[in-house]
Amino acid sequence: MAAAAAGGAGQEKQLAPALLSFFIYNPKLGPREGEEEKKILFYHPNEVEKNEKIRNVGLCEAIVQFTRTFSPSKPAKSLHTQKNRQFFNEPEENFWMVMVVRNPVIEKYHKDGKPVIEYQEEELLDKVYSSVLQQCYSMYKLFNGTFLKAIEDGGVRVLKERLEKFFHRYLQTLHLQSCDLLDVFCGISFFPLDKMTYLKIQSFINRMEESLNIVKYTAFLYNDQLIWSGLEQDDMRILYKYLTTSLFPRHIEPELAGRDSPIRAEMPGNLQHYGRFLTGPLNLNDPEAKCRFPKIFVNTDGTYEELHLIVYKAMSAAVCFMIDASMQPTLDFCRKLDSIVGPQLTVLASDICEQYNINKRISGSEKEPQFKFIYFNHMNLAEKSTIHMRKTPSVSLTSVHPDLMKILGDINSDFTRVDEDEEIIVKAMSDYWVVGKKSDQRELYVILNQKNANLIEVNETLLMTGWGRITTSSFAGSGSCVAESSGSLTTPLSVSAFSAAASSCFLASSAFLMAISLSSHKQKFILVYHCNKFMQTYHRLK
Amino acid sequence: MATGEPGSPTREGMALPQEQAGLCPTDTGGDELSTGPEEQEELLAPQSNGPVRPADGQGDAQEEPSDKELSDSASTDNALEDSSEFGRPLGVGACEPGGPLAPPTHRDEDVTAASWRARRKHIFVLSEAGKPIYSRYGNEEALSSTMGVMMALVSFIQSGDNAIRSIYSDDRKLVFVQQGPLVLVSVSRTLQSEQQLRQELLYVYYQILSMLTQVSITRIFERKKNYDLRRLLAGSEKILDRLLNLVESDPGFLLGAVRCLPLPASLRDALGTLLQKAITPNLVFSILVARSQLVTAVQERAVIEECRLEPTDLHLLLNLIGASSAFQAGEIWTPICLPRFNPDGYFYAYISYLDAECTVCLVLLSTDKESFYAVSDCKKRVEEAMRTQGSLQVLSGGLQSPSYGVGQVGVPDLRHFLYKPLDIPENYRQLPQFTSPELEGPYCSEEEQHRLFDLYHYLHSRIHSTSRPLRLIYHVAEKETLLAWVTSKFELYTCFSPLVTKAGAINVLTKLLRWIKKEEDRLFIRYPPKYSTTPNPGKGAKGGRPDGAENGFFAGL
Repeated sequence: MAAAAAGGAGQEKQLAPALLSFFIYNPKLGPREGEEEKKILFYHPNEVEKNEKIRNVGLCEAIVQFTRTFSPSKPAKSLHTQKNRQFFNEPEENFWMVMVVRNPVIEKYHKDGKPVIEYQEEELLDKVYSSVLQQCYSMYKLFNGTFLKAIEDGGVRVLKERLEKFFHRYLQTLHLQSCDLLDVFCGISFFPLDKMTYLKIQSFINRMEESLNIVKYTAFLYNDQLIWSGLEQDDMRILYKYLTTSLFPRHIEPELAGRDSPIRAEMPGNLQHYGRFLTGPLNLNDPEAKCRFPKIFVNTDGTYEELHLIVYKAMSAAVCFMIDASMQPTLDFCRKLDSIVGPQLTVLASDICEQYNINKRISGSEKEPQFKFIYFNHMNLAEKSTIHMRKTPSVSLTSVHPDLMKILGDINSDFTRVDEDEEIIVKAMSDYWVVGKKSDQRELYVILNQKNANLIEVNETLLMTGWGRITTSSFAGSGSCVAESSGSLTTPLSVSAFSAAASSCFLASSAFLMAISLSSHKQKFILVYHCNKFMQTYHRLK
Repeated sequence: MATGEPGSPTREGMALPQEQAGLCPTDTGGDELSTGPEEQEELLAPQSNGPVRPADGQGDAQEEPSDKELSDSASTDNALEDSSEFGRPLGVGACEPGGPLAPPTHRDEDVTAASWRARRKHIFVLSEAGKPIYSRYGNEEALSSTMGVMMALVSFIQSGDNAIRSIYSDDRKLVFVQQGPLVLVSVSRTLQSEQQLRQELLYVYYQILSMLTQVSITRIFERKKNYDLRRLLAGSEKILDRLLNLVESDPGFLLGAVRCLPLPASLRDALGTLLQKAITPNLVFSILVARSQLVTAVQERAVIEECRLEPTDLHLLLNLIGASSAFQAGEIWTPICLPRFNPDGYFYAYISYLDAECTVCLVLLSTDKESFYAVSDCKKRVEEAMRTQGSLQVLSGGLQSPSYGVGQVGVPDLRHFLYKPLDIPENYRQLPQFTSPELEGPYCSEEEQHRLFDLYHYLHSRIHSTSRPLRLIYHVAEKETLLAWVTSKFELYTCFSPLVTKAGAINVLTKLLRWIKKEEDRLFIRYPPKYSTTPNPGKGAKGGRPDGAENGFFAGL
């Protein structure tokens, strides 16, 4: 990946963007001259000479200070140079995280054999990499708590140890060459469900929380998609990222390889079930098995809770149980959990699977669609993409040209300039049409596969093809999410309200009906507005 | 200026082809020179307190005071051994001490105040030694530490074999441009892209070059790294201030094109022919403008074969003229550099307004610094012919009313547009042009105008993105719907009312394009006139080092 050869005349080598350095400092820790090194809490790569580290940290301080001349409360976010970009993030007061990314490079060879290096300065999207940097902090915080907490726990030394331990591994998983719009959203993919199955899951969770009374929060996922979460959104978002890009992929491979067969019929007194721990004890029959679960920190702005994260999985269904860190889960507890959760989750997983297959049959077989899309809802973080074939920890495979992905990124950053609703349709040099729509906290991006169409035909296609289906199906994801994850809206009523809205949305099949809002009073208004717009267009088309 | 040996060009000029001999009475050349002094007094009556005077040998006399002034006021480190080398050209503002200067509000601004920080766009120019040269708002002295930090950032990153481009914060872009020994910095809250801000900084740089030339700036700083360039630019802040205001309101800078005054093709052709006839040796460009809109421009055939007149150069020239009320008096003869044409050489510009209201202006550019009287004579002929034709009244009369309203196109949903044709015959030798109607409707307040131009800037930056250019953008927002479209024939930016539908917009577009096609002879210069004045004209003072005589001349100004 680092050196993908690009064809063409002469030798030409293309180098993907790469992490040059990553450091964390606090200017208050070494305010006096000669003690600058004390400011540095973490520096990657560590081999860099001390003075070089001090110089680079000094530059960042200078940049931040300088931009405060013009806007005291909004200092620098990024520095662009010919060769690289630096991203600044101050997640906690006076704690600065800096990520330096090298611009992509084209290496050409002259006839005389001398390499000529050309930096592509416009390729990296600021929003994408700033988001990656923010997520670095969120992920650290999920497993370690805040920087300040570490200093309170044991001073700068402890903080440095934790940073070293965490980032040493984490930085290797960044894969900066394949970051895109989805990193900006850092959203959650929701599993679309019918009402009955959803209620079954909810009652399962209620029963489990009752039987295992030390459980503080629960989250339920199927097929790497979220169905239920009791956590706050921002905590769930980063936990979801950890589960889907790190923990689950690590455990898929053994299953595929046929090892570690999950069927444990030998468990006495238990029904056959497929349940197993993804965190914690590997073998419950081993009396020496250690019941050590990863610790996570949630609600760090408020109650600051430290929790054990127990992830338990049966077939495609996974449940996260979070219990207070002061309670040490014993082997007995784990066995109890396994015996209660295992069989029920196995049944539930096959129920969901069956329902899922029925739904798939009803909606018909998927033909090669005329378009691909990304959808994101800022209110509930729901995200859906048909552009990304698979997001693994190592690479995100997209089915479209990288330039088109960057155009999506450009449209996204155009949307963030103003709060108003906007729609942008562009035609790329490659003749692809790319459409972006922002409406009431929702964003939808579509890439159309109709190269020779004109603007009106594009509009027609958006109306006539399955655009209505896109909006309903992505809506289904978001609807179940609103209903399930926010806690305040967990009544079946909101679910049916959602389906009513969804069906009217389907009926109207208007291009941009995704705008319907479930949570606000705007709902009716927006629906009416868009229907009108649709009717206008419809009449004109006739 | 290759032929710029005193005396000789006129001789050569006299041997020009016959058809010109009739129009340009070469034998009077000598007479005119001899009658020069009286005529000059007559022509340039207000000259004693005016800023610019023709070079007629007084240059040497003028050199001294200028020299003295330089060293007198110089803190010793700035005293140049040979200050005549860097004679002050133009010096517009400085030379009108009693003139009605614009209220000096911006310069006196408190640079620590929130209102200073809240400015839409700051522009700073500094030297490599970190010395302040220009600041759009606030006093350069008060900003010297800020500019010092800017220079420190530039050189720190340079020391790592790298180059700083920009800094982004949530609400601002800070863009750095280094050009020779100058560093230019923009701090902007507008929607403009980094590229566009960089382009603007280059406009500022080129405007400085238009007064000093690149070679002399380079030489100054080679001699003295911490030279205070403000000494040479004293008074020209006004020119840069005006440029920066223009850049934000005149789409010509964004599009790299000039706006033509809408005129019947027959009148434009007649005026072109007039300019074509009123020539003298070494004349290279004749430009007729009316309130900063181009009426017609005639170019020397041999010169444009080498290099065409760039819109940037014309914008800068017109800005320079517009910035100084002193130019409104009588005739001006001044050296000027067209930096895109040749950053190192001077042309000699003859500038004269043809009407009392100072709306119609004739600019004649020559490569011969001695040709004031000959060029002045050309103007007289143009003026006379225009009077006979009655075209002057038509021109200045036409300016009373706004150029044209978008209503003339006759489609209700259309609010405003910018159109730049790319299919002008002989386009490659032609000044790129554009047309747009007057701003009206919701875009009357300055705030709304800024908002609309911000949107145009945004469309332009996306469609012309260096890494990801687009063919078309259709943007629906709350207050308006916009469309940008680039084809091989034109570049078009349109602003519709927000309720327009896609089909409606296409319909409007079809009508607009049809209207422009119908009007194109009126809106654009279709066939640019040319003339030949010199068998072998130089390209300004290409490669020429300003020699002693020339410098005396500049100092004299």
